[in-house]
Amino acid sequence: MNTLVRRNWLLNGIAQLGECGLFFLDILVALPKSLRHFREICRQVWFVGAMSLTIVMTCGMFVGMVLALQLYYTLSIFGGTAALGTVVALSLFRELGPVVTALLFAGRAGTAVTAEIGLMRATDQIDAMEMMAVDPIAYVVAPRYLAGVIAMPLLMCLFNALGILGGHLVGVTWLGVDNGTFWGNMTSTVDLWKDIIDGVWKSLAFGAVVTLIAVFQGYNAPPTSEGVAYSTTRTVVFSAIVILAVDFVMTAFLT
Amino acid sequence: MSAVTASIDSIAEPLVQVRDLHTRLGGKVIFDGLSLDVPRGSVTAIMGPSGTGKTTLLRHITGQLRAGFDDVSGSVRVAGEDIARLSRAALFALREKIGFLFQNSALLTDFNVFENVAFPLRQHTELPEVLIRDIVLTKLQAVGLRGAANLSPSELSGGMARRVALARAIVFDPMLILYDEPFVGLDPIALNQVLRLIGTLNKTLGITSILVAHELAAVRRVADRVYLIANGKLVAQGAPDELAREDSPWTRQFFGGEADGPVPFHYPAPDYATELGFAR
Repeated sequence: MNTLVRRNWLLNGIAQLGECGLFFLDILVALPKSLRHFREICRQVWFVGAMSLTIVMTCGMFVGMVLALQLYYTLSIFGGTAALGTVVALSLFRELGPVVTALLFAGRAGTAVTAEIGLMRATDQIDAMEMMAVDPIAYVVAPRYLAGVIAMPLLMCLFNALGILGGHLVGVTWLGVDNGTFWGNMTSTVDLWKDIIDGVWKSLAFGAVVTLIAVFQGYNAPPTSEGVAYSTTRTVVFSAIVILAVDFVMTAFLT
Repeated sequence: MSAVTASIDSIAEPLVQVRDLHTRLGGKVIFDGLSLDVPRGSVTAIMGPSGTGKTTLLRHITGQLRAGFDDVSGSVRVAGEDIARLSRAALFALREKIGFLFQNSALLTDFNVFENVAFPLRQHTELPEVLIRDIVLTKLQAVGLRGAANLSPSELSGGMARRVALARAIVFDPMLILYDEPFVGLDPIALNQVLRLIGTLNKTLGITSILVAHELAAVRRVADRVYLIANGKLVAQGAPDELAREDSPWTRQFFGGEADGPVPFHYPAPDYATELGFAR
């Protein structure tokens, strides 16, 4: 890559970041107006939240099961299998729950939001709204953004619940860890504020950035089938990078 | 001044006034000093070769492209308001008085036909449901699609979608309606109905109409005035019949459908024989 190409690439990246920041401000300004479209917000919560339940719950269950298997093996080396419930719960609440839910959300709901808004742009529906003096940021973007921020922590809670259930299934039912020890150690060690609420903060932050990336990519998608496909891919790629970067920063500050 | 002319005939109180418009999009010059007036209560057709900026002109009139925001200079006034100087709120207030018929209808795919037509009413008024229903059914009846109120946009043919979009565009009885290629894909019956509707709206409600079209026969039936645009400039204007009879190179090529003339049929390219490898 020569210097000129590298500089253009860098400048484009900075310009995109700036545009995304301004777009975020537009959404914040439009949020009060978008509350008028309460039905649309509910519909979007259903669309991005409820429709993601199957993938989030199934994955949550399997992640919990795998976690219990791996941890049981490791803990058994040190004779510490009694701590299985605690370690499974802490891993899920503090790290895996928010991060994996956000990655799944980006793949399931983020791409759907990008494709939907991108197609609305390509078929002139966004322009039609502008022409009918309806602000598309307030009617199309802000409700989807709000729905993403609301849905993400709720999905994470279900992911965690199913994960612990999966861990219990493997640890207690299959591998024979004592039921009372599993739950007792978990409830005595896990702290509501330090562990669970920190995870909720992370989840809220992930909801905010993933949905922002999704709506921004959709709104600015080139009005062609290739353009929409490219924007959808960018949603997943950028979301994955940003989720892990934000996770690192938040973990550094929260622990 | 002759009836058919390439320079602007000033009109006392035009509803739309375009002056010295220069537009450059993606490095390409679209308008190079375009000026024209659209009289109140008239049906004005904008014609010209493909890619000459007819739809772009509509986007200027609605403020989607504005001087100061884009690579645009010159002035566009609608009902006396300078579009470039309007705040977003003022622009939206003006757009409530303008109907726009998109080339591809642009119906909202989440809604059925009824809800598409009701959409502007629901967004801008607090009218009771019964009144919204009456207004929507009246507009759908006008375009002959009252019976299709419960269909979704995916169940409509192209022509039906265009008529639903027209019902939506007139739901507020606007002062100005912009039609972007309203006749494309319509069967003769629907085309007749749309022509009649444009004429009726113009005559009974005094709605000013600007239509971008290529169909000279249809334009002759409905338009009071035609502006012919090419190469970023106004090249001819006048009543449709006069323009069709005019013997300028522009009108002869455009209305006669000739490949040779001031508008090249071929996109600029290197020599054909050289490119095929036949040249010595």
